[in-house]
Amino acid sequence: MSVETVASLGASRPRAAGAAPAGASKFGLAAAVAWRNLWRNRRRTWLAVGGVAFATALVQFSMSMQVGGYAAQIEAATDFFVGHVQIQRSDYVEQARFEQTINGVTSLVRSLEVRPDIRSVAPRVEAFALASVDERSFGVQVLGMDAARERRTVGFLKRINAGRMATGPDEVVLGSALARNLGAGLGDEVVVLGAGKEGGVAALAASVSGILNSGIAELDRSLMLAPINAVQGAFGLGDEAHTLVVRSADPLAGAELVGALNTELPQGAKARNWDAVLPDLRQGIELDRLGSVFLYGIIIVVVTFSVVNTFIMTVFERTREFGLLRAIGMRPGAIIGMVQLEAFCIWLLGVGVALALMVPIIVWLSSYGLYLGEEISQIETNMFLPDRIHPRLSWAVSLTAPAIMLGGVQLAALAPALRIRRLQPVAALRAQE
Amino acid sequence: MLLKLLQLSIRNILRHRRRNGVMLAAIVVAVAAVVLMSSLIRGMQEDLAETAVASLLGHVKVLAPGYRDDPGIQRSFALAEDWASEVDEGAVAGWAARVRVPAVIMSERGTRGVQFVGVNPAQEGISFLGGAKIVGEFLRDGADGRILVGRALAEQLETKVGRRLVIITQGADGLSREAGFRIAGLYEAQGENLEKAFAFTGVDALQRLLGAPAFTELSIRLHEEPALAPMKERLAARLTDLDVLDWRELAPQAAAMFLFADAAIFIWFLIMMGALVFGLVNTLVTSVMERVRELGMLRALGMRPSSVVLQVVLEAGILMLMGVAVGVALAGAVIYWLADGIDLSLWAEGVETFGMSTVLRPVALAEDVLLIVAMSLALGVAASLYPAWRAVKVRLLEALGR
Repeated sequence: MSVETVASLGASRPRAAGAAPAGASKFGLAAAVAWRNLWRNRRRTWLAVGGVAFATALVQFSMSMQVGGYAAQIEAATDFFVGHVQIQRSDYVEQARFEQTINGVTSLVRSLEVRPDIRSVAPRVEAFALASVDERSFGVQVLGMDAARERRTVGFLKRINAGRMATGPDEVVLGSALARNLGAGLGDEVVVLGAGKEGGVAALAASVSGILNSGIAELDRSLMLAPINAVQGAFGLGDEAHTLVVRSADPLAGAELVGALNTELPQGAKARNWDAVLPDLRQGIELDRLGSVFLYGIIIVVVTFSVVNTFIMTVFERTREFGLLRAIGMRPGAIIGMVQLEAFCIWLLGVGVALALMVPIIVWLSSYGLYLGEEISQIETNMFLPDRIHPRLSWAVSLTAPAIMLGGVQLAALAPALRIRRLQPVAALRAQE
Repeated sequence: MLLKLLQLSIRNILRHRRRNGVMLAAIVVAVAAVVLMSSLIRGMQEDLAETAVASLLGHVKVLAPGYRDDPGIQRSFALAEDWASEVDEGAVAGWAARVRVPAVIMSERGTRGVQFVGVNPAQEGISFLGGAKIVGEFLRDGADGRILVGRALAEQLETKVGRRLVIITQGADGLSREAGFRIAGLYEAQGENLEKAFAFTGVDALQRLLGAPAFTELSIRLHEEPALAPMKERLAARLTDLDVLDWRELAPQAAAMFLFADAAIFIWFLIMMGALVFGLVNTLVTSVMERVRELGMLRALGMRPSSVVLQVVLEAGILMLMGVAVGVALAGAVIYWLADGIDLSLWAEGVETFGMSTVLRPVALAEDVLLIVAMSLALGVAASLYPAWRAVKVRLLEALGR
């Protein structure tokens, strides 16, 4: 843009700004001028746009990956064993004791199952006992399960990879390492001895109907599954259970469901969301999120510095032009406003490039998933890391990075432009271009 | 000649202090963040290894064949008195020979499954047990027939120091053994999982109960990780009929996390430098373009194109060098400030699941810092190539005519 057109601008005659039709608003004109100014130094503009696009695209991509990854982790972890929501007696939550059971389980389960926000409920009895085969004995955690309800609620019984789930009172399923340690195979006889309610002896003789291989060494070493009625009978329990595992209709609305349940449940019973049942998973996610916030912060700071630099150079080179605009009566505020508009255009282009690049990639990956390699899923933790992450695109995620970047870019343009207020028109006009 | 060019480059940088100052700040932030992050990742790695090694593993462990699939006193071995002197070669920090068997532990209020471990307390300086906080008393020696249980397990069993616990396990003859043990003390460990998993007694006492004067495991701690591979070889050669395994094989989860950390440092570097490079190229190109006339003049006076390139590359190199120096110093200051570690106890269960302790201490490794410095300088030079090419492309007459 030549000095003449700029001068005509200052005199408020929009004739020269070809992009703006006559009678266009002042703002439209200013925007048109700012847009034109950008292309006076294409390389510089594109480099600044590139920085903004890089930061926005990277932050947006990794945030989408995080949202998708966390969702997959939570779904895998809850579907594995613990369910979305667990109901237990509140003193059982604090310190699990065998006699702290929920009574009237059959009717409670039925009343919960008809709720629209609950898909299914599975009651469990949890006892500790000594399992023996011949002369070998090991301590086991006995889980009494209602197989049909259990299958509707979580995927745990799919992990029985030899034989089948116990169906009668004289059948049990053993964890794979436990079966190996006991030297027991399918069809072998196991004797279970434990302490029942009120100190009675609980005894159970059963044959092995299946072997469970959960992939979690601790469980495979110690778990024994049996039908809930058999365990209740052997351990002297009536219509009681220690835990009700709930699959909710909307896993993300767990907090509301828990709140509603806690006002309706019988005295002493307490509902907890998955994040209270699996604090390690919640904390792992929080820590990961914290690390990323640090990363995003640094990226945005570094890119903002680049934008500051762009505007330092712009303002420096246009000292003469700004002096002229001042001399013909344009107020410093209007000039700063024009520079802010230029910054806004850079942001707009940067975010546009970022979205144009990233949205298709994220949409594609959200259906195909990003394969992270087998090693990831072989890390056996309670974290349930998926080996394939499906990023998720959401408005919140798509707007966060651009919004923060907008703040950074406008501030970056403001700092150097504030000099314009102190500009002496006469001295500035003499400045060499 | 080079000195002259260097002088020229420095002057060019000083001509635009504000602009180059901002660029410098960007480099400082990026470099400091990468160095700081790499030190935190290294700290995490070291912690993972240390936690794994200290959890009764040691760097190397010797087991009877088949013990891992079927743990018990049947899979045990006798240890020659002089085994250590033959393989040591100054690499061994300490070792412990133990008996470890699965057992059922019972109080009057509860029953649990545990790993029952017979130890010689004098040897356990190599494991977490040696430094664990004890309520009550530690075991006196290998003949001590009392039991030491974790605090969390004691809570589950609703028992306390001085009370008795009953242990049921399998003897060497395959028959069940049942014996009472008085609680000498309760130990506290990193994480409740450890406290619930292990109960300890004197190794001689346990051997007597099981009826076998043998060990099920030999755990060896080394002074340093690099001595691991040769030590494994020497042990395998000496103890031919036994399994010799290192901590990576025994704790594959910690070992895998360990490997990911290396990649994480590199990814951090790439991201930071990616963010930096746009600003760097921008600054350098501007610096070249506003000197078109000057560069034309220098060329007219006989400066060779290679010198023009060198001048621009030097300018980028100096800017980067200063940024890297300040960035590393800044990271150093932050690392020094964090030397006592970052308290992660708010996320205790989360970090323990990953096999880490709740205090994360940064560990700055000279080779990491050198690598980051070298890669940053290389990037600075790479970023200056396009501006340098622009500078060479300047046409003499055109430039002078401006």
